[in-house]
Amino acid sequence: MNQSVRRSNAFIWTWTIFVLVLVYLPIACGALAGLSKSRYFGFPVAAWSTDWWSRAIDSFEVQQIVKTSVAIALIVTVVAVIVAFFGALAFARYDWKGRRLYQKLVLLPIFFPQPVLGLALLLWMNAVGIQPTWQTAIFAHLVWIVPVVTLVIAIQVYGFDPTLEEAAADLGAGRLFVLREITLPILWPGVWSGALFAFLLSWGNFPLSLYTTGADSTVPEWLYAKMVAGYTPMVPAIGTMSTLAAATLLLTGGLILALLRWRAGKVAA
Amino acid sequence: MSELTLPHAEERPTGTRLEARSTPAARKKVSRGLLSSLPVLVVLLLGFLAPLATVAAYAFATPRTFDVFRSFTLINFETIFDPANTVWMSFAWSLGFAAATVVVLAIVAYPIAWGLARVFGRWAGFVSVLFVFPLFVSENVRLYGWTLFFIKNGVLDGTLKLLGGAGPEVLYTPGITLFGMVYVYLPFMLFPMVLGLAMVPKELVEAARDLGASRLMIWREVELPLAMPGIMIGMLLTFVLAVGAVAESKILGGQSVIVATHDIEIAFTYAQNWPLGSALALILTIIVGALSLIALTKLDLDRILGRR
Amino acid sequence: MTAAALAQNPPKPILQLVGVRKTFGDFAAVERIDLDIRDGEFLTIVGPSGSGKTTLLRMLAGMEAPSDGEISLKGIRINDMPPSQRPTCLVFQSLALFPHKTVGENIEFPLKVKGVAPAARKQRALELLRLVRLPETHYGKNVMKCSGGERQRVALARALAYDPEVLFFDEPLSALDYKLRKVMEKELKDLHRESGKTFIYITHSLEEAMVMSDRIGVMQSGRLVQVGTPEEIYTRPSTKFVSEFMGEVNVFDAAHENGVWRIDGVEGPANLALPTAMTSAQKAAVVVRPEFMRFVDAPGGADNCLKGVVFNQYSLGSRIQYQVRVAEKTFLLELSRANARKAEGDEALIGWDARDAIVVEA
Repeated sequence: MNQSVRRSNAFIWTWTIFVLVLVYLPIACGALAGLSKSRYFGFPVAAWSTDWWSRAIDSFEVQQIVKTSVAIALIVTVVAVIVAFFGALAFARYDWKGRRLYQKLVLLPIFFPQPVLGLALLLWMNAVGIQPTWQTAIFAHLVWIVPVVTLVIAIQVYGFDPTLEEAAADLGAGRLFVLREITLPILWPGVWSGALFAFLLSWGNFPLSLYTTGADSTVPEWLYAKMVAGYTPMVPAIGTMSTLAAATLLLTGGLILALLRWRAGKVAA
Repeated sequence: MSELTLPHAEERPTGTRLEARSTPAARKKVSRGLLSSLPVLVVLLLGFLAPLATVAAYAFATPRTFDVFRSFTLINFETIFDPANTVWMSFAWSLGFAAATVVVLAIVAYPIAWGLARVFGRWAGFVSVLFVFPLFVSENVRLYGWTLFFIKNGVLDGTLKLLGGAGPEVLYTPGITLFGMVYVYLPFMLFPMVLGLAMVPKELVEAARDLGASRLMIWREVELPLAMPGIMIGMLLTFVLAVGAVAESKILGGQSVIVATHDIEIAFTYAQNWPLGSALALILTIIVGALSLIALTKLDLDRILGRR
Repeated sequence: MTAAALAQNPPKPILQLVGVRKTFGDFAAVERIDLDIRDGEFLTIVGPSGSGKTTLLRMLAGMEAPSDGEISLKGIRINDMPPSQRPTCLVFQSLALFPHKTVGENIEFPLKVKGVAPAARKQRALELLRLVRLPETHYGKNVMKCSGGERQRVALARALAYDPEVLFFDEPLSALDYKLRKVMEKELKDLHRESGKTFIYITHSLEEAMVMSDRIGVMQSGRLVQVGTPEEIYTRPSTKFVSEFMGEVNVFDAAHENGVWRIDGVEGPANLALPTAMTSAQKAAVVVRPEFMRFVDAPGGADNCLKGVVFNQYSLGSRIQYQVRVAEKTFLLELSRANARKAEGDEALIGWDARDAIVVEA
């Protein structure tokens, strides 16, 4: 490796680390604010306290919004993964007439500003007479999350050799048997990543929830309401908790994914 | 050698039964893709196309009413394009912010994308996860963190005071709004860029070097053109998302400027003028949709995603 | 079975193709094929890439439906029978081994489909491992960690576990190196004899076809141009294409003028002696294999003699190949090292005997 390459690599590493620090800086600031004793944030933190954390955990209101958020995210995950699994097969596995058009259609909701989509959904629900509640928010989340999960699974499907399905059918297996024994197990890591994405994106979504939950509230929505009016250090405390929950889930999910890959590569001898 | 029996002798259909099931076989094969795509298409139809159609319908309704489909008027658009009105200002700000976000992000993300594709090696996966993770934290939480950083007596101000200075007054300005957009949309520029750069075969770069090309020349003649599809997706995605962004100007910008989506929201909520809001949303949708459609028709997604 | 016995009492066809066609839009990949495949034979379809051999095989295996014509198995029309219901099995070019299953699980797959109990499945899998000459310890091995040759054997064992009437092979040996391919060709032939099943093999290598097959079918742009035993294909190719597909040959056009045969590109009468009386024809293509050509000392040393200049020689190992220019045409000679007595630039008289020349349609 010559010197100029080494120098440019050093620059790239430094720049990446600098940007990463910036990416996590506000999250760290939130954590600090949630752990300071005073009601109004000041730096350096004069006195530390976990008071706001325990207050947040004990709050009935907070428990309610967490329940709503989890319920939405769980249902979104299940529905999105099932719909997107078949959607990904249509995207990357089957060669069919409308595929090119379909691929572009799937991308459209991703290439669309979410606040505007949320408002459009609100308008539409109103026009057909549906009262927005946390259930309608599930649907709103799906509009954006199904395409994302479809892409995530599709990337795995691209690596799937379709002759494996043909071979299984040739050896006498029926459609369901092929799906259960061949297609699903091989695509499992993609499906799992898709599920992880679905849950976490729903958990952290703000712009779609804002207009489509009606009187109900998710965690990001509730936090926003309190940021605008009624700040207490409970806001950053809950924000931090929410972040930590997402991180824990990502870590666990990632470990399971690694395990799946490891098992796929090293079938018990 | 012919005492073998057919393995499926009992299930084997007779000639006549075969005829009955033969005709749909060819048709079924064609439509298996369509069949699998149906659930997604239903979601898109009900959750994307139908709402946009409703927006379009409302845009032509009488202002300050809810009688959609019963009246047709262009008065909402006249209001918007009336020079005496300042509604167009919010669109100008949004388009300007979006363009600036794209330019800044292209510069910020390119070295990182290059690192992920070429330099980081076995660390690339970990670094990617670090950049993906913030997507799972609601943007208002992250933006609020910046408020805590920049606010009076906040992290920056507090630190500078310890050193005998004072923090700059950056909160509640258009500049900080742009900063927030760059911050929020970084992953949307970064990952398509990585996909694009990963499409450039290493051997091509080596071949160009072998043929005596300088690094700048390799970049301009080989790497950039081949990575362009991915870079284009990243630029388009960030532009489109930034045009509709609203949280940045509300939380960081303190409404020092009103962006397009904010105007739409005001029309829908405080003003209770859904037709006007819809007309604004329709214009935004047309801008976004035209850009997306032009770019998407040019892309071969199989090649970008599947490396085929 | 000897060729004579086959001719006297040909076995019943197990697969019968009548006027089978396959078109993709305007393009005809397979053009009206009639073929009887005999029970228990090893039939190889050879052809260059794009000749339609893979499409033909996929129709036989049930993965494509013919656009026209009829395919019947033991007298029953199977045109639209899905592959899962055909008593046939395809060994794919990629082998299509299930990467998430062990060697044993791969072999047991068709048995699992049929609902065979695990213990019986394992017993059968171990038998098959022995049959394809793999150690029983491979039963639990990750199939992705097997070598190329081992994978071939696993794919074979899996196909045999299905107990098909007919096995199809889509160039499964093409990914192997030369030496291993030679070993596998012979093993496949042994396995064919031991199993007694019908094998239908496609390849672009006629050499591979020669080693293994009872009969060979040669395909050219969607058509089956010749079907015959390896001997027949080698000694009596029916067209110029078939003879050229066999390897490097001398092919030249000959014209009949004023009662004498002339070779195009060669001045003067060539005194072309032909094995069959071709007096009525005006034009013919003549094929002479390089190994049937030789250097002669004087005119008359062979039925046909031509004067030329040696301009290249190549070593083929035990043999030497010469390129000899006669006027504008190049002739190939293949000689054992003992007979290789010319050097580049030498004038040479080359010749061949009439009985070694094959006349095909021009």
